[in-house]
Amino acid sequence: MSVTRRIAMTVNGERHEADVEVRTTLVDFLRGDLGLTGTHVGCEHGVCGACTVLWNGRAVRSCIMLAVQADGAELKTVEGLADGATLHPIQQAFLEKHGLQCGFCTPGFMMSIYELLTRDSAPSEEDITDTLGGHICRCTGYQSIVEAVHLAVEKMRAT
Amino acid sequence: MTGHDDIPKTLAGLPNSAPRYIGQPIERLEDPALLTGQTEFIDNVVLPRMLHCAILRSPHAHARIVSVDVSEAEKLPGVFAVITGEDAKRWSNPTMTVPPGWGTHCLATDKARFVGEPVAAVAAISRYVAEDALELITVEYETLPAVADARKALDADSPLLFEEHGHNVMLQKVFTWGEVDAAFANAAHVVQQTFRWNRLGANPLETFGVISQWDLIAGTLTCRGSFQAQGHYAMARAMVFNLPLNKVRFISQPHGGSFGGKGGARGTDITALLSRKAGGRPVKWIEDRMEYLAGGASQAWDRHYDAALALDADGKVTGFRVKLLDDLGATAEGWGAVSAAKPLSNFTGCYTIPAAQYDLTIVATNKLPGSPYRGMGPPPHNWVQEQLMDLAARKLGLDPTEIRRRNFIPPDAFPYTIASGNEYDSGDYRATLETVLEMADYPALRAEQARARAEGRYLGIGVVNTIEPGVFDWNAYAIVGQPGTGVPEGCTIGIDLFGKLTIRVGFSLEGQGQYTVAAQVLADWFKIDITDVRVVALDTLSAPPHFGPGGSRLGVALTGAVLGAAHRLTEKLIAVAAALFQTTPEHVELRDGMIGVKGMAEAQMPFQEVAQTMLARSDLLPPGVDPNPEATYVWTAAGRTPADEQGRAKSYLTAANACHVVLVEVDIETAQVQIKKYWIADDCGTRLNPANVEGQTQGGVAQGVGAALLEEAVYDEDAQLRTSTFMDYLLPTIYEVPMTEKRALCTPSPFTPLGAKGCGEGAMHTTPAAILCAINDALIPLGVQLFEIPASPQRIWTLLQRR
Repeated sequence: MSVTRRIAMTVNGERHEADVEVRTTLVDFLRGDLGLTGTHVGCEHGVCGACTVLWNGRAVRSCIMLAVQADGAELKTVEGLADGATLHPIQQAFLEKHGLQCGFCTPGFMMSIYELLTRDSAPSEEDITDTLGGHICRCTGYQSIVEAVHLAVEKMRAT
Repeated sequence: MTGHDDIPKTLAGLPNSAPRYIGQPIERLEDPALLTGQTEFIDNVVLPRMLHCAILRSPHAHARIVSVDVSEAEKLPGVFAVITGEDAKRWSNPTMTVPPGWGTHCLATDKARFVGEPVAAVAAISRYVAEDALELITVEYETLPAVADARKALDADSPLLFEEHGHNVMLQKVFTWGEVDAAFANAAHVVQQTFRWNRLGANPLETFGVISQWDLIAGTLTCRGSFQAQGHYAMARAMVFNLPLNKVRFISQPHGGSFGGKGGARGTDITALLSRKAGGRPVKWIEDRMEYLAGGASQAWDRHYDAALALDADGKVTGFRVKLLDDLGATAEGWGAVSAAKPLSNFTGCYTIPAAQYDLTIVATNKLPGSPYRGMGPPPHNWVQEQLMDLAARKLGLDPTEIRRRNFIPPDAFPYTIASGNEYDSGDYRATLETVLEMADYPALRAEQARARAEGRYLGIGVVNTIEPGVFDWNAYAIVGQPGTGVPEGCTIGIDLFGKLTIRVGFSLEGQGQYTVAAQVLADWFKIDITDVRVVALDTLSAPPHFGPGGSRLGVALTGAVLGAAHRLTEKLIAVAAALFQTTPEHVELRDGMIGVKGMAEAQMPFQEVAQTMLARSDLLPPGVDPNPEATYVWTAAGRTPADEQGRAKSYLTAANACHVVLVEVDIETAQVQIKKYWIADDCGTRLNPANVEGQTQGGVAQGVGAALLEEAVYDEDAQLRTSTFMDYLLPTIYEVPMTEKRALCTPSPFTPLGAKGCGEGAMHTTPAAILCAINDALIPLGVQLFEIPASPQRIWTLLQRR
């Protein structure tokens, strides 16, 4: 039952090695073993997007991946967005546009937006909608999130 | 002594000639921690020696429990405690219910009454091991016939949820207000229709979570969790466990949304019992999404309506009858019948309807017990009423907007007491309607609709206006077995030695931005920078009397508490400053952040210096002065009255008003509904933080879209749940939720702090009705109408086949 395997990965630029039970999900590993509790679990079946992290630059749902699948990978979580005391432009845009209410889904949204904006500095409306379409926010009704994405595009272009 | 009269009802009443924050869409103090992943949600909390709970749930809707064998589970390494209904019976009481007498223990004892009901639970070294242990528990069930349909639950031969009652009717009452029989007998027109609102619910992105710790030596229970009303849950646990209330300490963590139902009484009780059995080790339970959908606070409003309007020849509504069969599910635990009682606070909507009747029957079935959800009870009620207004307009050959104009409560009639007894504070409903019609260019919309029809496309327009009752009061619910008048909300404000301020409150973050609002108000009172204010949540034993968010009350109540405490604190500062200025307090005032002698501009000092003197220069203080630069104020709405035998009371303090206009298109090939445009005009009095209000409105629209088109907890006829994941229970995404155009009107409340009104629920009150009315407007030429929510493609397609 409790078969373990040794894995190694880089998370937010920091290297980690650990023995994990092979059944451990990636999100449980990030939250439980590494203490990176900014990544949240909303549905545990890959629908809501709250647990989204970057896996080798791609937005993935860490609740339906196993930790062993991240062996050798480079991961980024919400804790890796801000630069010291300076919020990332995406975070700053969410702050200014009231792009969040309870904030539980927000880290997942921001990681997908990060993937989009690092790939495409001038995304189309359709690309923005499709990126946000993979996430559920129960509080905001999405309007302020869309505004935050537009502002983040401007801010990232300016930097 | 500070009282209600000292709390300013307008900005002009503040001791600040130029308020900077109140009324501004300022950034939220809550957000930096949320944006960086630092907010301490319950699942982030880890305590020493903490165990993890997993819960075994009934797969049957109705089954006698013959035996539960946990011996193999107990042997699994890493398992520290296993509990069953026997432990619950030994160590706890059945939970409180509304109405009383329809509750169970946290774990099924003699029988299970719904799919997902907890039967046994394990505390183990990890959640993984705890779930392994569940598979080693053997439960022998003897299945019983189940009832899933509220109408069948009324039959004499229906399976019974609680045999001791001999029937499934939890509550039956007819409220009659005015001469309703005469109104219908004398009516020129009557419109009558049945409606079906199916179960749906809150679904915050964070499920419920709790860590309970039972100190066996001290006899105390400490629970950390995502509790929407921590004091209420603490009180209920004291009753469940026969503990004095001061031995129960609840610590509410910030929560990832709530929308009414967050509190998890069963999970809290189960973890408490596990902690007790595990020798006092803390036990954590994080509800997973499937547990939430099957067994959590995920379902509300399972309603069958038969309703009618009586009208005179001119389209004036003279009577309104609503017969409601409300399916509360297996028990009346939690808030139970409260939701069905809430429409008494806005029964007749925006209209001057002199006579009304509410024939209310609440029944038990083998489904998940109902929970509160945003709006609590009126969203289905408002849909019924507004759809009837549209039907009446059609019958009389009036435009839907015109019949509303003819029935609005006029602006000079406030405060206005509606037939069901509540008093509306203020409003201008005609202005709200005309504003949104202008925004939408209503005549152009009708022209667009006509053009589309000529092309064989079916556009529909919904125009719906509602009242959002704000600042709830217990008195509204005495009629369903929840007595009390007044809902206290307190805070303590302190000034520290460095001259900074802290507001201590009895509720945690939930998403509405109330800490920011509290800080805005206090910063403007003392004319300081908002970053000089910090808001801190206290547990149930530390905080002043509190309730927290609920019933669109916290913005108003907290503003009252902050202003009351600020006034009281100012009085203390003035008493000290008067001695320092060698005068008497009546000659001293707070003005623009300075405490000074009236009429002497130069005789003043920063208020912070007075506080610092109190804390660090006792030698300068006059004898007998209170040296504590802190004050507490507990606000509760004034003038609330106990309900009479027909449920009439001044209950909700404020009446916000909104009018939504929506344009939809129904594709008759696919039966899909597309929301094309959406406009909102809304009047919730003074907006303390307009960005917060706008967020609440848009968020409410999203939930309303879910209710109208997508969300439904489906049970089959054996009461098996068919929608146990987000693949089946559909939440609205950006693809379905319209970006809305909004405009604010402001009719301040004459009764509340700064004229604010409750505003967290209004869009949920309005959106489902607006969309359904629009769909039916689109369907008129097709000769069919839909009176069931959600308006899924399957339902519309079925209707279209019948034409």
